[in-house]
Amino acid sequence: MLYLSQVLGRPILDLEGERVATLKDVIVRLGEDDHPPVAGFVARYRRRDFFLPRWRITDFGEAGVRLNSDILDLRPFVRRDGEVLLARDVLDKQLIDVDGKRVVRVNDVQLIEAANEWRVTGADVSLIGLWRRLAPAFLRSGRPVEVIDWADVGYLATDAATVQLKSSRGKLARLHPVEIARLAESLSYQHGAEIVEALDDETAAETLEEMAAERQAQILGDMDEERAADILEHMSPDEAADVLGDLPVEKAEDLLNRMEDEEQSEVAELLPYADDTAGGLMTTEFVAVPRDLTVGDALARLREMAETPNMIYYLYVVENEVSEKLVGVIALRSLILSDPSSPLEIVMRSDLQVAHPDDAAADVAQKIAEYNLLALPVVDEAGEILGIVTVDDAIEILLPKDWRQRLPKLIG
Amino acid sequence: MAEQETDADAAGQRLLRRSAQRMRRRIERRPRLFVYLAIFGPGVITASAGNDAGGIATFASVGADHGYQLLWVLIPLTFSLGVVQEMCARMGAVTGKGLADLIRERFGVRWTALVMLALLVANGGVTVSEFVGIAAAMELFGIARYISVPIAAIAIWWLIVKGSYQRVERVFLAMSLVFLGYVVAALLAHPPWATVAVELVHPHFELAPAYLFTFVAVIGTTISPYMQVFIQSSVVEKGVRPESYRLTRIDVWVGTIFAILIVFFIVISTAATLHVRGEHVDSAAEAAHALRPLAGAYAETLFAIGLLGASMLAAGVLPLATAYSISEAFGFEKGVSSSFREAPIFLGIFTFLVALGALIAMMPGLPLIRVLLVTQVINGVLLPIVLFAVLRLVNDRELMGEYVNGPVYNLATWATAIIVSALSLLMIATSVFPNLFAK
Repeated sequence: MLYLSQVLGRPILDLEGERVATLKDVIVRLGEDDHPPVAGFVARYRRRDFFLPRWRITDFGEAGVRLNSDILDLRPFVRRDGEVLLARDVLDKQLIDVDGKRVVRVNDVQLIEAANEWRVTGADVSLIGLWRRLAPAFLRSGRPVEVIDWADVGYLATDAATVQLKSSRGKLARLHPVEIARLAESLSYQHGAEIVEALDDETAAETLEEMAAERQAQILGDMDEERAADILEHMSPDEAADVLGDLPVEKAEDLLNRMEDEEQSEVAELLPYADDTAGGLMTTEFVAVPRDLTVGDALARLREMAETPNMIYYLYVVENEVSEKLVGVIALRSLILSDPSSPLEIVMRSDLQVAHPDDAAADVAQKIAEYNLLALPVVDEAGEILGIVTVDDAIEILLPKDWRQRLPKLIG
Repeated sequence: MAEQETDADAAGQRLLRRSAQRMRRRIERRPRLFVYLAIFGPGVITASAGNDAGGIATFASVGADHGYQLLWVLIPLTFSLGVVQEMCARMGAVTGKGLADLIRERFGVRWTALVMLALLVANGGVTVSEFVGIAAAMELFGIARYISVPIAAIAIWWLIVKGSYQRVERVFLAMSLVFLGYVVAALLAHPPWATVAVELVHPHFELAPAYLFTFVAVIGTTISPYMQVFIQSSVVEKGVRPESYRLTRIDVWVGTIFAILIVFFIVISTAATLHVRGEHVDSAAEAAHALRPLAGAYAETLFAIGLLGASMLAAGVLPLATAYSISEAFGFEKGVSSSFREAPIFLGIFTFLVALGALIAMMPGLPLIRVLLVTQVINGVLLPIVLFAVLRLVNDRELMGEYVNGPVYNLATWATAIIVSALSLLMIATSVFPNLFAK
């Protein structure tokens, strides 16, 4: 086993044991392997960097590197796709430890030889690793250290990040979107954006929803437009509308135009409403059923829906298939408990609470809390249902302003 | 069918999660360390933070001991401060990372250790000066420092670890606004404006140890190492991007000019009231006398309120910011809500600095004002280390791209760093060999 700090700056020796160059960096190739193999070295000779392929080396250790021939190929070093330089890209940089769900700083890199091949096995994040690089050799400790298995390295916060996006995706997906968002926010904005881009559309959308509003807008605004539109499609329409509202007008229009028709129209409906009104809070994802169905039909219809809205606990009963005029509401609970053959009209409640798009957000939230609702329908002047405000949006408004001050908080 | 059920299930879970998420997001929207700075604009607030106990003591001494002679320093100082602060703000906007982060990532462990040591010593010194400020202020109210300092230290430690510091912070900030009174006091003291104008552009230099000492203290208290760390963090925290950086640049320069203007008035008011009578600033009470044209008999009370506010504010923020920087650079667990077991080094550094500041401030027979000046001198001596690191980083094309320094900025910073280094060496030399430059 070797540590990167023990080999950097060591001599590269020819067959006679003469020093011909200095070891500047170790190249690994990220790929399917959990523990990527060493692909070569960067040698420094007279202030220039040369590439040394792995097969040109016989010994690799604390004493340095030994060449297997006298012919030194002086090809200048150029980084290739998928390659990571351990000293330049990993050492002293931050990475995401998927297992510990945290961002750590790499104090050293652990290399292990197995089957005649050197592999990167872990990132040393311990104090001892720090000490190994700071202290003179005789003061170093041989104690075991805290090493993060390379298989758990979800993301490397380095400038050469494009090489690792594919391998990051799978590992980051093991985390909950809440956790990904928290980790991404603790890195610089460039790296945070890269992490979001590395995720699949669905996870990226969920992760973005967990982030602060300005940050969502920044990340989507800087992203490739097509990709941003794809992610927006996966966000819930009210969240997507909020983000678009935070972007410059032309940018928002561009992204909206690139979205698929269905999602586009859902989001577009929400855009004109001010943030602090019922219209600004509402989402267009809800279940509406015509009044002439039976309970059984309604349940069947619910099952057949291609995409079930988040909010299925209330089914909103409307006049007929064409008109969206709201006539009643049925809780999922009463739907399940009712006789499948009874008509909806009998089971539904028609004395329901509604809001209008221009109602103040605070009043809407108040109403949701007062009536213990999970959602409140928003209707226009004709009584047609436009959308619903769900309880999660109400919570945000109802939390007292000084709530945060009553909770232990982190400064910084 | 089964698939539909899981779909509905997932939908319900999503709703629940979003509910929780909203609640969390609301709660997490708590003010972070530098956010209160951001409201005013990071540049303005960071620059004004220089007017703490050490700053007031230094500039009051400058005015009392040297009259208007050192006023000329303020003009080059404005440029140096503005340039240095602007570079760090720019690095924050371009890289999205803090200064400690960048130093670690670009320079490796050993240089990081050196810079962090310098920062620890410099900030440790400033922390000491803040507790000395608390002691001096409370003594003006007639409370012995053996009572006031330990209470203040425990209160600060407790408030920060319990997370309620931010609520009292605004009170301290408001209290420190008292120092704006120096502007009024300076105007009421009817200084000889013609002399002021001449001295402002008339360089005057001596190789006397006392003069050099004051000179380094003036630089150290104006361009303190912690201010570079502060401004960069607050720019990062505020999420400033290169595209929107222009506003921040303006903010930095406005802040710089504002801060130096306050300094200008402190020097004038002390020169016009104390220097003309040959008085020196050996205690807080004497520094307060410069406020007499404004407050008459209440000058001491007014001064004590301002000093207490400014000192309490910085005595909490500085140890905390130092602990953050060092933890950031070395990757230690950090956060005040962590326990000692989770973040031993972070909380250790924080606690150590608070305790050190309080203990030194309580030493019997300590000449308070002198200690305040010495801590600013330490700042000045260590400043070049941070400046050289900043210079290397800001000129790193890989890091900064097109946002690297222009030649004027480089020249100004190099000049600052070299002049401060030279002055520090001269000062040390003359204090070791007092007769070095005697004729």
